[in-house]
Amino acid sequence: MDFYFGLAQVIGVHTLLGLSAWCVLHTGQISLAQGGFFAIGAYASGMLTTMADWPLGVALPAAALISAAVAVAVGFPALRVKGLMLVVATTAFAEIVRLVFFNLKWRVNTPAGLVGPDGGLGFGGIRYFPSNGWSSVEILALVWGLVALVMLVLAWLDRSRIGTLWRAVGEDEVAAQSVGINLTAAKVSAFGIGGAIAGLSGSLFAHYATHIEHNNFTILLATFAIAYPILGGLSSLWGTVLAVIFIQGFLIEGLRFLGDWRSLLFGALILLVMLLRPNGIISSPMGQWFGRWFGRSGGPAAPTPKGKAHA
Amino acid sequence: MTYNNLLDLGQSVIDGVLFGTIYALIGIGFTLIFGVMNKINLSYAAASVGAAYLSLLIVQSAPPALVYVAAALVGGVLGALIYLVCFHFLPLNKPLATLMSTVGMLLLIEEAIVHATAGMPQNYPAMFVGANIDIGPLSLRGDLLFVFALGCAVMVGLTLLLKHTRLGLATRAVSQQSVAARLCGMSITRTNMSTFVIAGFLGGTAGAMAGAAIGVLSPLLTLPLTVKGLVVTVIGGLGSIPGAIIAGLLVGGVENLFQYMRGVSERDIYVMLLLFAFLVFRPGGLFTPATGRD
Repeated sequence: MDFYFGLAQVIGVHTLLGLSAWCVLHTGQISLAQGGFFAIGAYASGMLTTMADWPLGVALPAAALISAAVAVAVGFPALRVKGLMLVVATTAFAEIVRLVFFNLKWRVNTPAGLVGPDGGLGFGGIRYFPSNGWSSVEILALVWGLVALVMLVLAWLDRSRIGTLWRAVGEDEVAAQSVGINLTAAKVSAFGIGGAIAGLSGSLFAHYATHIEHNNFTILLATFAIAYPILGGLSSLWGTVLAVIFIQGFLIEGLRFLGDWRSLLFGALILLVMLLRPNGIISSPMGQWFGRWFGRSGGPAAPTPKGKAHA
Repeated sequence: MTYNNLLDLGQSVIDGVLFGTIYALIGIGFTLIFGVMNKINLSYAAASVGAAYLSLLIVQSAPPALVYVAAALVGGVLGALIYLVCFHFLPLNKPLATLMSTVGMLLLIEEAIVHATAGMPQNYPAMFVGANIDIGPLSLRGDLLFVFALGCAVMVGLTLLLKHTRLGLATRAVSQQSVAARLCGMSITRTNMSTFVIAGFLGGTAGAMAGAAIGVLSPLLTLPLTVKGLVVTVIGGLGSIPGAIIAGLLVGGVENLFQYMRGVSERDIYVMLLLFAFLVFRPGGLFTPATGRD
C-alpha cells in the first residue's frame, strides 16, 4: 500500500510542477526555469525546517515566497527575450541554480546533529515528517490538499481579469499590446505565480524525499515540467493532471514490468502523443466535453490547425 | 600570479578554444535548422552523439579515419529520420508540438544508447595522440588540433555548399523568406529535409570529434552538448553561422579558463553568466542576421 501512497505523492508534486509551467505557458512563454524554482523551494524549505527549526506550516509559504521573489527578479531581464532565446536563457538560469546548490556547503550544528547542504553529496536529513510523526496518509492529504488549493486558485485566476490578460498575451502579443495590455506585467506576474507554485512543489518534494541533491534538478526535470501541460493541452487544468498521471503513473510506474524497454518506450510514447494530438491530450472538442462533465467551461477553444503553415 | 601559472592559464585557454570547435559545430546545426524552419530541434545533439556511437560499429573492420566519415554519414541519415518523424507530420504553426516531439526523440535516442551499451562508456579512436606541436613554452595537443582542423574543414565545406550550390541557394532563400521561395518554385519540404541532412553531417562529425577529444563516448554527453550548443547559438546570434563559430570557440575558451581557475564543478556557472551578460547587454547576439520581411 505504501507504494501507492508514494506514487500518489509523486503525482501530486509533479502536478504542482506542471501547473507552475502551465501559468507561464499560458502567456505564450516557454520556460525551462521551473526546475530551478523547484530546486530553490526544495533547498529553502529544507534549510528552514532543519537548520532554522521552523514549522512546516511557515516554511512552505516562505519557500514559495522566496521562489516567487527569485522568479520575479529573473523574469524582468529574462522575459525581454522570447521564443528560443527565452528557452536558452531559462535553461541557463536553471543550470546556474543547480550548480550553485552543487557547490553550496553550509552545515550547522543542531540537536539532530550536523545538517545542511553538503555540496555534491546533497542535502540529507530533512526529517520533518518522520520526527513529527506524520503518517503517509497525512502527507498524502497535505500534498493533494495543496494541489486542490492551487487548482482552485488557478481556475479562479483563469476566469478572472488576470487570466484573460495572460491568455490575450499568449494568443497574440502584438494585438494585446495594441489594446493597452502591459506585456511585462502580464508575463512577470505569470512567471512569479508559476515560481511560487514550483517552490511549493519543491518544498513538498524535499520533505517527502528527505534527501535532495543537485541531480534531482537537471534540465530533464524542467523539460518534464513543461511536458505535462503541453501533452495535456493548455485549454484545461485537468489536462495537466491527466498528463502527469499518464507519464508518472503509466509510463514510469505502470510499464515497470517491461524492464529496460520501458525507458525506450517512454520517449517514443511522448512522440506518439504529439503526433496524434498536436494540441495536447485534452484539446477541443474533447476539452468542451470535459468542461460539460465537470461543470465548467474548458477554456477557450484551441484554434484547430489550418493545414500546414508552410511545407 | 607566477609565470608558470600564467603559462597553465594560457595552455588551458588554448585547449578550450580547440575543443570549442565541437560546440561551434553543434551551434551551427541548431542555427541552420532554426534558420530554415524557425524551430528548435532539441534532439540534435543527442542524434550527433548517437551517430558517433553508430560509427563505432565499423571501427573493427576499418581504419580509424573512416570512422569520422561514417559518423558524418550516419548523422545525415539520422537528421533525415528526425525530420520525418518529429517535424514532417506536425502542424508547423504549433511551436510547442515540435518542441515536445524533439524532446521525446532526445529521450528516445539517449535511452537507445543506454540500452545498446548497457550504459558503459565506449572508447573512441583518436588521431595524432601525443603528436604535440610546441610553440615556445605552450603546446598544441595533437588530438585536439586534429579535432580543430576537422571542424574547420567541415565549416569551410558548409560555407562553400551554402554559397556556391543550388541547394545552398535554396536553403538561404527559404531561411530569408519561405513564402517567396515557395512562389519561386522551390520545394520547402525538400529544402527543409536537405537542411536536416546537412545539419546531421555536421552533428555526426561533431559527435565523432567529441568522442575523439574526450577519448570515450557516453550517453551523459548528450545533455551538456545540447545546452552548450544552445548557448552558442544564442551568443552567436540566431541564424548566424559566423556568429556560431566565434561563439563556440569563445565558450570553449571561457569554459576551460574557469575550469582552471575555479575547478570543474563551478566552470559552467560562469559560462551561463556569460550568456546572461549577452542576453542583457546584447540580446541579438554577436551577429544578428537581417530579418526577412514577413
